[in-house]
Amino acid sequence: MRQIYFDNAATTFPKPPSVAEAVREAALHLGGNPGRGGHYYSKKAAEAVYRVREQAAEMFCAEPENTVFTLNCTHSLNLAIKGILRPGDRAVISSMEHNSVARPVYALTKKGVRAEVAMIGRSDAETVENFGRLIKTGPRCVICTAASNVTGRINPIREIAALCRESGVCFIVDGAQACGIIPISLRDGMNFFCTAGHKGLYGPTGTGLLISDGKYALNTVIEGGTGATSAELEQTGFMPERLESGTVNSVGIAGLGAGIAYLKETGTDKIRSREEGLCSMFIDGIKNLGGARIYRRGENFVPIVSFNLEGIPAEALAGALSSAGFALRGGLHCAVLAHETLSTLPFGAVRFSPSVFSSEKDVAALINEVKKIYKNGV
Amino acid sequence: MTYTLIPVSSVTYAMKSKSILNRMGYYCEIERQEKGSRSGCGYVIRVKDDPAKILPILNAGGIAARSWTTAER
Repeated sequence: MRQIYFDNAATTFPKPPSVAEAVREAALHLGGNPGRGGHYYSKKAAEAVYRVREQAAEMFCAEPENTVFTLNCTHSLNLAIKGILRPGDRAVISSMEHNSVARPVYALTKKGVRAEVAMIGRSDAETVENFGRLIKTGPRCVICTAASNVTGRINPIREIAALCRESGVCFIVDGAQACGIIPISLRDGMNFFCTAGHKGLYGPTGTGLLISDGKYALNTVIEGGTGATSAELEQTGFMPERLESGTVNSVGIAGLGAGIAYLKETGTDKIRSREEGLCSMFIDGIKNLGGARIYRRGENFVPIVSFNLEGIPAEALAGALSSAGFALRGGLHCAVLAHETLSTLPFGAVRFSPSVFSSEKDVAALINEVKKIYKNGV
Repeated sequence: MTYTLIPVSSVTYAMKSKSILNRMGYYCEIERQEKGSRSGCGYVIRVKDDPAKILPILNAGGIAARSWTTAER
């Protein structure tokens, strides 16, 4: 049976052919350990990694040395959150955070960090007001997703960043869903921008970025070999090596570079417009089903539509769709706070997320399948 | 021929130095510090040009390069 992939908010698939080719080339030719020796292969690998570091830095208006390669967005967020917060500090997070924010913050509450939740409001103005009240009380940092991985709603990051700046509060942004869809960079005012390489940047899995404006030095979560200041037992202070202990994923990074190049060539505006068109088509196709509930409240969205059909648990609906050849994500999307906010616990919702490679024909087929399930049950 | 060797703190700063200098039309090569650095794992950039010209360019690019040595090759 032909499988149709609509789970691009988890990982984009397929990847552009140029990404696969870059990975292949790197696996065949980038044999050395970047930054760990003076021989030909090491230098060649280091040059390849640095080229992608420059590409990513340019995309997010950062310096190459403040552009850290990680394994994924969760890794980036853990490095930033655990690197900045100390016992006795206070952190503010939004009510729509993914577990990649909620869990590290929760873990830190067991070590003397206090956490508060700012509600994402009905409007952006309400959201900014909710954050503003808590920012005035002087937390150490604020962490907020640029766009929800459940509803796709885009949050007013620039306005929250301005409030943080005024109060001298560190601002960490989870860009996993926004990256590659909306123009976002350090110019928006955040101190740390965390993102995945394997979602909107169209890179391979096992790649992520932690980008900083250089204002705050992070404590390390992992220490080890960095290829710099090796005679000292103290972890090197030089960025990005300070946060990149161990061998970096040079093969994945090469693929990420091709993904970023693809994005630059295609244009985020074009990608967003195409994917939003598919989301509108999907919403129009199911909204009149009596038992359909679509979770889109607010002003601006990245291309994600979460929905439920009355009487059918989300996992069962996603399972039925999977049996019919459609890959959608059902359940809690690793975002219990968001589902609590949406009152969709305990079953969650089903998430539709197209990519630039999705087609109208496939969306139409999905709409027909959802209608069939609504009529006949799972 | 006499070259100037400028030590930098890491491979990333070495790469950044090369990138900046190449963009400005200066030839540059990256090498491991032959005698090693006191803190270990040092890199140098090898340039043909006058360090009095090169160091301010690197400093303006955020690279803390302060010293240099010369070598024959």
